[in-house]
Amino acid sequence: MKQLTIISGKGGTGKTTVASNFIKLASNQIAVDCDVDAANLHILLEPEIKKEEEFIGGAVAKVTGDCINCGKCEEACRFDAISDSETDIKIDELRCEGCGVCEYICPTDAIELKAEKQGSSFVSETKFCTLVHARLLPGAENSGLLITRIRNTAEDIAGEKNIKLVIIDGAPGIGCPVISSLNGVDATLIVTEPTLSAISDFKKVYEVAKIFDIKVFACINKFDINLENTKEIEEFCSKNNIEVIGKIPYDDKVALTLSRKKFIVDSKDSEAGLEIINMWENIKEYLYSE
Amino acid sequence: MEVVAEGVDGKLIISVASGKGGTGKTTVASNLALSVGYCQFLDYDVEAPNSNFFLKPEIKHVQKVTIKHPYFLTETGADFSACADFCHYNAIAALKDEVIFFPELCHGCGGCKLVGPKGTVREKDVVVGEIRKGPAKPNIDFSMGDLKPGSMRTTSVQNALDKLITKDGLVIIDSPPGTSCAMVFAVKDCDYCILVTEPTPYGLNDLELSVGVLEKLNKPFGVIINRDGIGDNKVEEYCNKNYIQILAKIPNDREIAKYYSRGDSLIDYDSSWKKKFENILKGIEKELQT
Repeated sequence: MKQLTIISGKGGTGKTTVASNFIKLASNQIAVDCDVDAANLHILLEPEIKKEEEFIGGAVAKVTGDCINCGKCEEACRFDAISDSETDIKIDELRCEGCGVCEYICPTDAIELKAEKQGSSFVSETKFCTLVHARLLPGAENSGLLITRIRNTAEDIAGEKNIKLVIIDGAPGIGCPVISSLNGVDATLIVTEPTLSAISDFKKVYEVAKIFDIKVFACINKFDINLENTKEIEEFCSKNNIEVIGKIPYDDKVALTLSRKKFIVDSKDSEAGLEIINMWENIKEYLYSE
Repeated sequence: MEVVAEGVDGKLIISVASGKGGTGKTTVASNLALSVGYCQFLDYDVEAPNSNFFLKPEIKHVQKVTIKHPYFLTETGADFSACADFCHYNAIAALKDEVIFFPELCHGCGGCKLVGPKGTVREKDVVVGEIRKGPAKPNIDFSMGDLKPGSMRTTSVQNALDKLITKDGLVIIDSPPGTSCAMVFAVKDCDYCILVTEPTPYGLNDLELSVGVLEKLNKPFGVIINRDGIGDNKVEEYCNKNYIQILAKIPNDREIAKYYSRGDSLIDYDSSWKKKFENILKGIEKELQT
């Protein structure tokens, strides 16, 4: 079994467009949407949910007992999550990372760590393959934990059904969700654009991919809006042994096709669609090799 | 440099956010700043900061963001199992003569030092990112956070930015995408949030999610539709149906994409946007007064 994670650094470069079209073109595959706080794979794949599970994330501190307002917890908290008022303390749940230091230090046992539901994970069937996805509640933490969970579920299903390929749609950025999406995969495809912003983020996310010692592919979306920058990306890739599997032209049909809930690879007159098919042909052999 | 926004009474924090990445947050935030001229600007998208390409600040101060990691004086023969038991992030494994520490899992809470045998757990500073600060034209007090690749301490870098927010005038915050903790961190203190989206099914799906976050936090907000004309009318229908104000529509234009790719601003391409952004700010101030 091979696992491929699609990432980008910068958001909106076309991760989900590439991922959903690859899922359509693939065979013997399972899909995972690891962008758990703004998931989009389900929009084209139209899953039918077969199994839903609650996700209880990390705990946060709550004042449940008699606070004597001694201020010890405020002093000990390194996340600036506790502030003092006249009579008692206030815990900012947004800043609280559930470390338990305040609970431990409180002389009157007034603080307790409590875990709450932070989202749900789903196993669904689609026209093409099984999709494992999730929904994080607004503002919830621990997306890394939820990502690890859905990836484990996908790996288990792949093992049981002898599935050869796991296609993972990753999150933007370079932080916890991206790291959790890359841990233990065989390869990553970085989708970038020839803009100063996307190039900067591409280089940062490549630094993260390097930590995992995995095969790195890249593709350049809207490559023709700035040929000079496209050349810079290609040079960076060739210097760093990153295989560029395709260059997708700027094509307004991509958004139009999406709005009709259709796949761009089915649009016979779309140059972008043709290039994504081409990209799939370029990467296929690697993905199905033993 | 102390900058007080002309025309803004007291302090006004505007966060620019979106569920989906790459919809134009940085375009809106940086052009709003350039149009108004006087403000403090903070780039909270510390995993993929890009506003520097458009505001072109002269960086005068660079400050490392650090957290504390423990190290264990195993030569003392002390028993560190209490540290391992306490750690809520499973970053410590205490074996018979050895402690295995997983630095990537450590949040730097200091709990292990607190519960471990006295004097045997020490701490050292570990760099997780950096803050860059300096003036940008015309009169912008610019700060950005930059997470170190491989680190998961996004909110630690954002927290360092929190401490830089000025007491007075207009403050513009460029938020990371998504709806989880990093996005909430960037909108939690704002007086008003501008949500930037695009008229596609992905844009709509993620707009609804980010509206959910803002409603939960009870923040006033409005929407800017970017790449207007590219997909469908469903974002506009959604806003109208839910009485959400559409502050502006930026047209879909390949020329704008070209300007963006080079780090040039929307107001360079079409100077009429300067007035439009000034009016958006006036409208927001008016709405908040009533």
